[in-house]
Amino acid sequence: MLIHHYLEENAARFPYKDAAIHLGGRINYLGLEAAANRLANQLLKLNLHPGDRVGILIESSINYIIAYFAILKAGGIVVGLNSQGTARDFRNILSDCSVTGLIIGKNAVPVIKEVYHDIPSLRFVVAEDRAEHLPKDIRALSLVDIQLSGDPARPQTSRQETDPAQIIYTSGTTGKPKGVTLSHRNLHANTSSIIRYLDLNAEDRVMAILPFYYSYGNSLLLTHMAVGGSLVIDGRFAYPNVILEIMAQERVTGFSGVPSTFAILMHKSNIRNYRFEHLRYITQAGGPMTPALTQKIMEALPHIKIYIMYGQTEASARLSYLEPEKLLEKIGSIGKAIPGVELTIKDEDGRICPPGKVGEIVAKGDNIMMGYWNNPEDTARVLKPDGLHTGDLAKADEEGYLYIVSRSSEMIKSGAHRISPKEIEEVIAEFAGVIESAVVGVPDEILGEAIVAYIVAKGEIDQKELRKHLRANLAPFKIPREIYQVDALPKTESGKTKKYELVEKYKTKARA
Amino acid sequence: MEAVQQIRNFILENFMIGRPAEELGDDDSLLDKGIIDSTGVLELVSFIESNFGFTVEDNELVPENLDSVNRIAGYIGRKKNS
Repeated sequence: MLIHHYLEENAARFPYKDAAIHLGGRINYLGLEAAANRLANQLLKLNLHPGDRVGILIESSINYIIAYFAILKAGGIVVGLNSQGTARDFRNILSDCSVTGLIIGKNAVPVIKEVYHDIPSLRFVVAEDRAEHLPKDIRALSLVDIQLSGDPARPQTSRQETDPAQIIYTSGTTGKPKGVTLSHRNLHANTSSIIRYLDLNAEDRVMAILPFYYSYGNSLLLTHMAVGGSLVIDGRFAYPNVILEIMAQERVTGFSGVPSTFAILMHKSNIRNYRFEHLRYITQAGGPMTPALTQKIMEALPHIKIYIMYGQTEASARLSYLEPEKLLEKIGSIGKAIPGVELTIKDEDGRICPPGKVGEIVAKGDNIMMGYWNNPEDTARVLKPDGLHTGDLAKADEEGYLYIVSRSSEMIKSGAHRISPKEIEEVIAEFAGVIESAVVGVPDEILGEAIVAYIVAKGEIDQKELRKHLRANLAPFKIPREIYQVDALPKTESGKTKKYELVEKYKTKARA
Repeated sequence: MEAVQQIRNFILENFMIGRPAEELGDDDSLLDKGIIDSTGVLELVSFIESNFGFTVEDNELVPENLDSVNRIAGYIGRKKNS
């Protein structure tokens, strides 16, 4: 199964059914198929070759979905990009995958003007609205014009299931972004499995607040396109009450979020004033949620099934889930492997751990990525003959339910983001006077983890200037909430920074 | 300093570093222009609460009150007069 066949099949099965709804706009499956075909035909006219990478830099919207399926239909590989990225991020990512073309929204125009000269492989840009804002020395087209005059016939391209369909960039522990490369088969295996355990069907309508460039948001997009369901897209979760109102109006059956989504809903919204008669389930992934927060959701939405899930971008999204019926009995567990996936806990010698013993989660299944784009070293580090080494440490109980104990990597999970401390430390190091720094994640009720930086420097650091430097070089969600100048960082005998001590120190201070 | 200027400064210094002040129109939607996200709104709320001396209630967290410089200034004015 190729991923764009989801759209093609449902355009035949449910031509007039809502495929996506966004800010008052609606598109049915037939309209979405025609719009994606028009853009795909234009990409082919631009001489897109099979396997060429095309980036999407548009906020989650109907146009994002059109762009996504058009790239696949034209035989290309989708690279969904975080619209909050900085010029530095885009230079790194777009050069790494030698992007051929970009499809961009109006907010992305300034940053693309800044970087396009540094991406020699970039041949064209399709602007969501008008193309005349783009520089004259780049081939620029308008999506509006393409939709007005393009050819709606389905293009004929040939791709195999084993060909790459999508690259999702994640922050690597080294600070350099890593392009998780997923084939049509990887994505289809995961999509089918999620559909099975969530029991999704064509009547399902999901509230999609998570960005589509992120693997969790991407899985909402694919599962609903596969079953012929509807996506109610709204990126305004900054105003949670607006989202609650849309959920009620659009009669959504599903809602998906990360721990901070639910923390905001429980602490900063009117959720308790709603009954949501059509809501059937909610899903949570993207980092551990505290049992206290889970309990609050159960109280606020007593008739709703709550699915706790675990996964990695490297697994196309999902690896395990906890059945809603087991939520109270197994609170704190990430459940068991999803259909089609095998999860084992292994010790450092590769032996399977008995119940209760902590080891690394190793995953096998058709959903496991092909590898990191253009990066055999990092690929070899995680993809081994026995499967994907997740870096997450866990133990199983006697019944096989898994409990995460710690993440062996130092990645910070803040809000919906997975953040590399190394990347932030590298930017801090560029600031005059800095000797060294350590960036850690500390517990935060809303975000899950908040970023805190400890800096050793010559003389007094001007915090205001340092923040300016960080803002100029890091996406907003990567900016440390607190910065402390210290005389020295705690070190192990081998000279490694003892980050857990910094976290403990912070927690002790917070309690005092 | 009048409220509009204080709000402008806060947004420019916290969410728009390195971008020219002219890019922020007083009626521009902070969300549509990609200036603010869900954590940004929470930062904005604590700025308003600590600088203008009142609590932002959960049901007041709506774009009509917070999504542009002028809307924030109007909301602050209404709260202070209530």
